[in-house]
Amino acid sequence: MNRPFPSTLAPVPPIAGRTLDAQLHLMDRQALDNDGVPVTTVDDLELSGPALETEIPEGTPAPILTALLTGPVLGTRIFGGRPPSSRLIRIPWKDVADVGVVIKLGVSGDSLDAGWVERWIRDKIIARIPGGRHDPR
Amino acid sequence: MILGDLLGTPVYDSDGGRLGRVADARFVVDGAPQQLMAEARLLGLVVSPHSVSSFLGYERTGVNQPWPLAQMLEWRHRGSFLVMWEDIAMIGEKSVRLREGFTAYSPALDGAGQE
Repeated sequence: MNRPFPSTLAPVPPIAGRTLDAQLHLMDRQALDNDGVPVTTVDDLELSGPALETEIPEGTPAPILTALLTGPVLGTRIFGGRPPSSRLIRIPWKDVADVGVVIKLGVSGDSLDAGWVERWIRDKIIARIPGGRHDPR
Repeated sequence: MILGDLLGTPVYDSDGGRLGRVADARFVVDGAPQQLMAEARLLGLVVSPHSVSSFLGYERTGVNQPWPLAQMLEWRHRGSFLVMWEDIAMIGEKSVRLREGFTAYSPALDGAGQE
């Protein structure tokens, strides 16, 4: 394929806000809750639009990032595809406090569905092991 | 829509000419303020003519070490460009079509990962 554009492209017009590239800054990052406890990793992102296979009229406002998604994606990462949308767990973008090396959330991890497996293992398995209900001494 | 469905999708111009695939999506945090971070709106898509996806953003960040790896990845991502949301005519399940006369911008980011 021939190179369709010259190597020197025009820079993007100046924008005011912080830039986040999905693959570079968000996907696969670890998410920590407001106490710094790991909650999950970001497996995918959800946007507010647009409708698929529909012509986008000029002047349509850009879609916004609504949620970070996580869920059972190990198999689909290896073999392709993704789980049905209903199986994915959403962390709303409004709960995100900062994006850096990790994504910091402004809420407690106990309130999020994303950490239910760890909570279930703690309550149903670890707690039944003698000494499993208190910190090690 | 889920962004993972869009990444890797072929991109065509208004005449049906193939331009590459969606390598990444760029957001800018300048929307309505909320309690923690403002809304992040889609600024545009990074399109790569030769590769399905991006790897560590070598083509965008100006990182040039280790030299052989940087050279190889820059070559693999040669011709990448950013197309703004305003220039996208339609997003389908298996293709993205751009508007006639769209502008290809440089996808480069500065050392701090910003425009």
